[in-house]
Amino acid sequence: MSEKERILIADDSAMNRAILTEMLGDGYEILEAEDGRQAVSILQTDASVDLLLLDIMMPNMDGFDVLTMMNKYHWIDEIPVIMISAENASSFVERAYDLGATDYISRPFDMAVVRRRVINTLMLYAKQKRLVRLVAEQVYEKEKSSSTMINILSHIVEFRNAESGLHVLHIQTATDILLRTLVQKTDKYGLTAADIFLIRTASALHDIGKINIPESILNKPGKLTKEEFETMKTHTTIGADILDKLPFQQESELVKTAYSICRWHHERWDGRGYPDGLKGDEIPIAAQVVALADVYDALTSERCYKKAFDHDTAVQMILNGECGQFNPLLLECLTSAAQLPTELGQSAAAESHRNYLAEAQHISEALLQEQAGIRTADKLL
Amino acid sequence: MTLQEFYARIGGDYNATISRLPSEALIKKFVLKYPGDPSFNQLKDALEAQDWELAFRASHTLKGVAQNLGMDRLYKAAATLCDAVRGPKPLEDASLWPPVVAANEEVLEAIREL
Repeated sequence: MSEKERILIADDSAMNRAILTEMLGDGYEILEAEDGRQAVSILQTDASVDLLLLDIMMPNMDGFDVLTMMNKYHWIDEIPVIMISAENASSFVERAYDLGATDYISRPFDMAVVRRRVINTLMLYAKQKRLVRLVAEQVYEKEKSSSTMINILSHIVEFRNAESGLHVLHIQTATDILLRTLVQKTDKYGLTAADIFLIRTASALHDIGKINIPESILNKPGKLTKEEFETMKTHTTIGADILDKLPFQQESELVKTAYSICRWHHERWDGRGYPDGLKGDEIPIAAQVVALADVYDALTSERCYKKAFDHDTAVQMILNGECGQFNPLLLECLTSAAQLPTELGQSAAAESHRNYLAEAQHISEALLQEQAGIRTADKLL
Repeated sequence: MTLQEFYARIGGDYNATISRLPSEALIKKFVLKYPGDPSFNQLKDALEAQDWELAFRASHTLKGVAQNLGMDRLYKAAATLCDAVRGPKPLEDASLWPPVVAANEEVLEAIREL
């Protein structure tokens, strides 16, 4: 590592900050905060702080408030905290440890102790970061090849349907954007980063049932007859059946999610969709989102029977209910997702060198966090 | 006045301080910065204004700084006062303040001769 490790010192006394800075020496880059609020705002804007030396008694926000915020935003999982308070009462020390502090240095500061504890803590966390990266790389490799397989599979289906080469990629990107917007608006559906990734991946399979629809219907340029439309509609149940009859991995979350999406991505919020006429949140959220993404992409892409509409027109048509009714929350997501058209436009290029690594990192961190959460819960019981 | 004489004069422990802090030069550098430290005056103002929360925080900071610099007499006087307003609550025993003033004065005078 060529860059110096960054240590944030939060103490309201300039003298104490100066003494600590001097003790730590030139080996580190030192940032200073003179109260809790400043410390939090530095942590908020600067993700690369490696260690926090934290005083307790400070104006605005005290050290415990800072620790509480760090827990709330999960910064405490990545940034170790060493307390440097003049407060040595055991109740204070205990409370700091309970809030996730790694270590407690009492006053007066002793240079050898300060240095050694800082070095030890940084080493411990460097080890943890290396492990996270290792897991992330493993997840990355796994995700990359399984995503590729899924994309090939869905392309086989798409291939028969001459017009929509990029449809699958568009659906994935739009599903991803809508879900990310949704979790910012509500936690009603309890979607984690891993769930979003799963739904995004599974969305590629939404039309696999079309493998069984005659090409004469799939690629018919004019309007479908009533019978033809009935046949077309069966791609939902056919796709679900294919997954349902999988001789393996019935229990996999990907298969279950893909099943919901295949079967119900033509259901509508008011119950007027097909095949089951499900209503509202009877329709799994994964299927609701893919349904909206599907309609949006159909409108904004050129088809043999229509030209492409621009983003604003397409959104307006959807809001007007021209493609059926959708979850009002999702419609809000659609209207606020202004980045949709640009990101869909780039999705083909982006897919080829999509940043799987960042995503894998995200997922593996979420996994580790979950594990840590379970361990903490065990301890508390 | 040498640093050793300085610590003897203000009721501090030179040996303990030099064993904790990097070097005599640095100790001197920090000690010379003490007159610029605002916590004593903040404490004085807070007591006059009967702002007990600020009095607690300022005495707490003063205690921490004095402790770090090995100014033990000042540290002890500030710590006693700090505990008396902890809560924060009003200072009932007014006799706790003069020792802080005296210890601070002693430190400032000694620094002038350093």
